[in-house]
Amino acid sequence: MADEFEITDEMRAQIGVDSEPWTYEVTTTSVRMYARGIGTEDPIHYDVDFAKSQGFRSIVAPLGYLGTPVYLPGQNDPTFGFPRRAGGPRLNIPMKGLLDGGTETEYLDVICAGDVLVETSHLADLKLRDSARGKMLFITNESVYKNKETGQVVAKQRLTSIHY
Amino acid sequence: MADQVYFEDLSVGQELPPIKIAPDKQQLVKFAAGSGDFNPLHFDENFPLLKPMGLTENIVHGRFKYAQVGRLVFALAGYKGRVKKFGVSYRGMDMLNKEITAGGVVTAKRQEGGENLVDLDVWTMDVEGKKTTPGTATVALPSRR
Repeated sequence: MADEFEITDEMRAQIGVDSEPWTYEVTTTSVRMYARGIGTEDPIHYDVDFAKSQGFRSIVAPLGYLGTPVYLPGQNDPTFGFPRRAGGPRLNIPMKGLLDGGTETEYLDVICAGDVLVETSHLADLKLRDSARGKMLFITNESVYKNKETGQVVAKQRLTSIHY
Repeated sequence: MADQVYFEDLSVGQELPPIKIAPDKQQLVKFAAGSGDFNPLHFDENFPLLKPMGLTENIVHGRFKYAQVGRLVFALAGYKGRVKKFGVSYRGMDMLNKEITAGGVVTAKRQEGGENLVDLDVWTMDVEGKKTTPGTATVALPSRR
């Protein structure tokens, strides 16, 4: 039962264990679609020649773009789109409620169309708190994005989900 | 894109020009397509999970609000600056067709590792003035010197 739920040593042992890598192509079409989705009309996200004239490799992915999934049928969640990878954490959680807790991205480079990244993710943190709704479990996953060609880390993104 | 902002142009306590958007259903469908998140909670008013949550309208994606904060800090950085990090917590729901305001204020200026860094408190605010998506950001800006 959720009220008796405790974080076990077995769960904590999964913190920091990397999932299998996932190739993440940043394309002109996906950048433009995301830009349209957030309502920006800044040409830096749409016009390749303009972006190059401003010193970028190609159109710039809007902030928040990272996490937009590369969709492969059977390998992604059909509704939310996130990849279902081997090696990720397997937590047996009795809570049925789910809230999106937060998103944090650290950039070490600008992300542009044409970049091919490799993403791995791992469980970064587990916290249990008491609330009016009963016990709430905060799960933080961190994705690390590397440039496939250079191996350089270009961004890290932490996502927190709240289970209650 | 407005004119480039330089490190010397900002002072602690200064507010950023806000970004306002009242996302209609078409906008949220565009975001679903662009982001790959097709949770019907955000675009189907008959989605069975709405009623148990006490909702009569679709709610805005948290990541849509994160992206509005992203637009705000990207506008500050301009093409010559760089956003180093930005993060938010999702503390409240925003509803379809209701105006969301992304805002921010400078909390610190510092020089570190040869960069001119500006720290910010950022947020999205609903029509009642509640900050439903508070967070922080750090932007590196060019110098006029």
